[in-house]
Amino acid sequence: MTRKNYYILTDGILKRKENTLYFINKDGKRPLPIHSIYSIYAYSSLSISSQVVNLLSKEGIPIHFFNRYGFYSGSFYPRETLLSGDLVIKQAKHFIDNEKRLKLASDFVKGAIFNMKRVLSYYGLDNNMDTLLEDLKSCKKITEIMNVEGRARADYYKLLDEILPEGFRIGERTRRPPENMANALLSFGNSLLYSTIISEIYNTQLNPTISYLHEPFERRYSLALDISELFKPIIVDRLILYLIKKNMIDETDFEKDLNYSLLNENGKRKFVTEYDKRLKKTIKHRKIGRKVSYKRLIRLECYKLIKHLLGKEKYKPFISWW
Amino acid sequence: MYVIIVYDVNVKRVNKVKAYLRKHLLWVQNSVFEGEITKSQLERIKKDLSTICNESEDSVIIYSFRTKKAMKKEVLGIEKSSISEII
Repeated sequence: MTRKNYYILTDGILKRKENTLYFINKDGKRPLPIHSIYSIYAYSSLSISSQVVNLLSKEGIPIHFFNRYGFYSGSFYPRETLLSGDLVIKQAKHFIDNEKRLKLASDFVKGAIFNMKRVLSYYGLDNNMDTLLEDLKSCKKITEIMNVEGRARADYYKLLDEILPEGFRIGERTRRPPENMANALLSFGNSLLYSTIISEIYNTQLNPTISYLHEPFERRYSLALDISELFKPIIVDRLILYLIKKNMIDETDFEKDLNYSLLNENGKRKFVTEYDKRLKKTIKHRKIGRKVSYKRLIRLECYKLIKHLLGKEKYKPFISWW
Repeated sequence: MYVIIVYDVNVKRVNKVKAYLRKHLLWVQNSVFEGEITKSQLERIKKDLSTICNESEDSVIIYSFRTKKAMKKEVLGIEKSSISEII
């Protein structure tokens, strides 16, 4: 993986010149080598010309935009070059057939619960995740599966609170807006992961709008939500616990005026830097037998899903083994 | 792999080489680029540079390392450009 993610946190203009990109702000001009960009995350107010869009489309580079509160607001999803009608039909077939959909939906939740369990046991916390896994087996409806997922997550946050320092307890999970620092970190991290997964899906033949666990509503890439369930515990939650436990983040990284519900620029910078490091971190993959990065793991998950949809190999959700 | 490319070319072609390399690598100093690329990307750069450059007048040197970790970089004086991906 030599193409890199670029994170833009300062205001400026993105310009096309000499067939490459230039980022211009008050400090000056900075060329970004077009062939080394994997995707761009825009957290600041960024002006973009249509020439830039044309170039990004040609190179197949998505840009993810976040609003000033750090919430995901949308992506520039370049013209699809990896198309497969066959796969789209099979994706839809697996959605329509209730049994097939249930299998995939429960697999996603199973993986998510297993990964939550891993995080808890890493911190030596006793948990009842196994009973929830049992409950999952008897589910006959998507709503029941969602219910198990919700209960697992509520228990999980409650247990994590035991090891978190006073100011960083999660309490209730609150969104739009997050009501405390831990919730702000979770929201920020989850939307970052969500867009990372969109980038990965872009690089496969999968259609991002057909999902199994979440209802495929219009105007959103719900397949990315499905896959993000698997990776939230090991990428986002572990990262947040790491930042808090190592005292790398504190009250000064949040907006005081907004009741600490929002990361300020410095806080965002810290978070994004560590997040990027984590994506590049490698582990030895058991099946492939060589080192793969966390980012690559997400892509492998997409490939596994494709194999399942095409009926080549049964899908087994990703479960961390370390 | 990690590469450092330095070039000394006729002034007529300096801008051409610079504009080309900017698409793949990060500019560090006048006539010096570096960055992480794949083997195939390097082959492509070599091929394209040989069409831009005139072999009897110009000189391009490519230093390559297996990974960035295989090399050590120190900067004395001012660092002319930052190469971080977080802007």
